[in-house]
Amino acid sequence: MSVNEAKQGDPITPGSPLARALDGYAVPGLSAGFADRVLAAAEGAAAPLPPLRRRASNGRGWRLGRGIAIGVVSFGALASAAAATGLLQQFDIPVPSAEKVWARLTGSQPAAAAATAPVMAAAKPKSDAPAALAPVQITGPIDTPEELAEAFRRIDEVREGRFAARRALADQRIDSALERRRAAGLPLPTAEQEAAFRDKVEAAQARRQQLADERIAARRDEMQRKVESGEALTSEDILRPLRDDARALERGERIERLRRMSPAQRREALRRLPPEERRALIEQYRAGRAAEVPAVVPPAPASDPAGDQSPAE
Amino acid sequence: MTASGDRSAQAQRVAGPGDDAAWAARLAARDPAALREMITQHGGALHRVAYRMTGDAHEAEDIVQEACLRLWDQAPTISARHPVGSQAAGTLRLGGWLQRVVVNLAIDRLRRTRRLSPGEVPDDADEAPLADALIEAGERDAQARALVLALPDRQRAAIVLTYYEELPNAEAAAAMDMNIKAFESLLHRARTALRQAFAGEGDAR
Repeated sequence: MSVNEAKQGDPITPGSPLARALDGYAVPGLSAGFADRVLAAAEGAAAPLPPLRRRASNGRGWRLGRGIAIGVVSFGALASAAAATGLLQQFDIPVPSAEKVWARLTGSQPAAAAATAPVMAAAKPKSDAPAALAPVQITGPIDTPEELAEAFRRIDEVREGRFAARRALADQRIDSALERRRAAGLPLPTAEQEAAFRDKVEAAQARRQQLADERIAARRDEMQRKVESGEALTSEDILRPLRDDARALERGERIERLRRMSPAQRREALRRLPPEERRALIEQYRAGRAAEVPAVVPPAPASDPAGDQSPAE
Repeated sequence: MTASGDRSAQAQRVAGPGDDAAWAARLAARDPAALREMITQHGGALHRVAYRMTGDAHEAEDIVQEACLRLWDQAPTISARHPVGSQAAGTLRLGGWLQRVVVNLAIDRLRRTRRLSPGEVPDDADEAPLADALIEAGERDAQARALVLALPDRQRAAIVLTYYEELPNAEAAAAMDMNIKAFESLLHRARTALRQAFAGEGDAR
């Protein structure tokens, strides 16, 4: 801005030629009766309409954000509650435990993780629980029959503890189911029906335990032969079959779910699986049918995925 | 004097000239005497602004009337925001509020007029007797009108408020809903334009 422009923007000095020129702009007075006309118009005018919209200061944006936040938190709470109460499992939606996820990620020992699962800990028998449920630690190679026998002994202790815990858990679930039916006013089974059902559950458990025992016995024979021939067993030699068993068991559960589907649903579910997993699943399914192994999942007892394996086998 | 006229005079004595919250409360209570008092107090100044903005006496009266009716309509809201005796009541200036409404209405009407009939606002025909004094006064008036009405709307409003109404810059800025810096810039441009136009007229003569 030049000096001349700055001067041109200065205030208009009274008495200057510009001021004298501007002062000639005379203003007529208000016409007579102006106030009366305004008053008449004011009194005759209709009442003003209420505002159509809320003012922007009411915080519409915050209300929207609060709604979204409440929705997200509510959904999270409902999902957590559904997962915690086992509702998702009732609809065949798999909810892997943190231990299983970690075991899959790291390739570590899933059965050992299952040993420390809260459900098992809650249902453990009071008599020999602490020692029996402690996971077996394998450190260093096992190269003598004595060391191997000691390892088997400790493993059997843990297995016994687990079987007892599983039986207690099955009884507890049956009792709570009966209690719920009683509270809801539903018809209860007779004493004979209840006993038959408990026997059926126990038989299923025994059958699964027997299958596990057969697998374990075969594996132990092989291990003993290796040790007697001077070969040292590492923890990996013992853990690898465990992982294979865990995978086989998972596939068994998956097969069971597939069995309950309609043929169309089953085809669709199989189509979604990775090819390798699909082949393994189909192979196991065929092997199961060939061996005529009854794939009955007992309704009430614990469906612990690693339940048929001992932690260190 | 009527009863409402008595109330009006009493309110003026009790409330004092600065306490517009009491007037707003009376307007909100639909007291016609309060509206009449507002017109008496502020009507002249509002009319001067409107007239110097539009250059038309009838238009100016229309603008002042509409501003007064808006005050009448919005008095309940204004009164609710500035209850008598509260801290907010001290900040209420009904004169400033009315001036802001008049300036905005005048600018709106000027824009509308320009849109409907493009071109300069014609001077009124002088129907007064052709006495020398009247002719001279008319010439001065016409020159001043021409100078002011040649300014853009907002620059014109700035000159009217600060030069003719002698408002401080801050109050004039408030009447135009502007911050003080922007208003001072606008006023600077208005004075520059005015001086250039005045110099141009001198050269033409």
